[in-house]
Amino acid sequence: MATKTAGEIEQEILSPMLERTVSFLTEDMQISVTSNNIEIVSPNQVELKKNTAMIGTGGSIQVIITMSYDDKLLEKLVEVFLEGEEAPEDEIDEIRESVSSEIVNTIVGNALTNPLDGTTLSITPPILIYEAKSLFKHKSSKIATAIVNTEFGDMLLTVIGPKESFADTLNFKEL
Amino acid sequence: MLNVLIVDDSLIIRKNVRKYVTTLGHNVAGEAQNGAQAIEACRKLKPELITMDITMPDMDGITAVKSIREFDKDVNIIMVTSHGQEEMIVSSLKAGAKGYILKPVSEEKLAKSIATIYKNENLDVNSVDDELMDD
Repeated sequence: MATKTAGEIEQEILSPMLERTVSFLTEDMQISVTSNNIEIVSPNQVELKKNTAMIGTGGSIQVIITMSYDDKLLEKLVEVFLEGEEAPEDEIDEIRESVSSEIVNTIVGNALTNPLDGTTLSITPPILIYEAKSLFKHKSSKIATAIVNTEFGDMLLTVIGPKESFADTLNFKEL
Repeated sequence: MLNVLIVDDSLIIRKNVRKYVTTLGHNVAGEAQNGAQAIEACRKLKPELITMDITMPDMDGITAVKSIREFDKDVNIIMVTSHGQEEMIVSSLKAGAKGYILKPVSEEKLAKSIATIYKNENLDVNSVDDELMDD
């Protein structure tokens, strides 16, 4: 099987997720996307936003995916999910967390297949990340990021995987 | 009117499905946040319809459907899931679910799914419109 470069990884792993994120925001949430910028590199560090949810995949490719939202964007998403209803004050934090988790669950569940054989990847229940500010790359891991800019702020998508997950068939290009 | 059990680990989804169920003229019998709670609630509340998330902590929706089918052959179960989980949808249907709704959940999708399952029955509700019933 031919090896794949970082550019192909962008297309085959992150692009479907990015595509689904954009359609989710614009079609399901009615939020305008002003631009999106996929940056596939192997950064040593990714700065997370305060509101971050994480999900893992199982099966033939095991990666961790995080979605981070700017405050204003998450507030807008919560507003859309509530469909015009006022959230009780004692529930608003849990609702915010629930929306954050549900979005990553919906987008990843909708988007992820193994780019090598087209099979569906199983996903774990979402996990919320508190207090974490950065992701640091271990030398044997790979990090890919994509940023979606919306009228209400940015959404940061990150895929983290051990290089060994891909190494047999995908040739990550060291940058 | 149907007695409905809502099973989802997401608070916002439970809230929205509860609203849709009520708007469609049905009764929310109860809620559960994982498969194990769903089995217990099903035994206790004996709902006629269950909306069941697939990916949940502790016990997933497919395992719960299999367990529920061991003691309740009649309750109708609608899975709530994502596009990419086709294999899980098939597993759910094999386990005994009657249908599925793709996320994001909406009142229209729920109405359509209920209408499909109960197409030959008069549910005595006033909100499932004729167009959906004809689909």
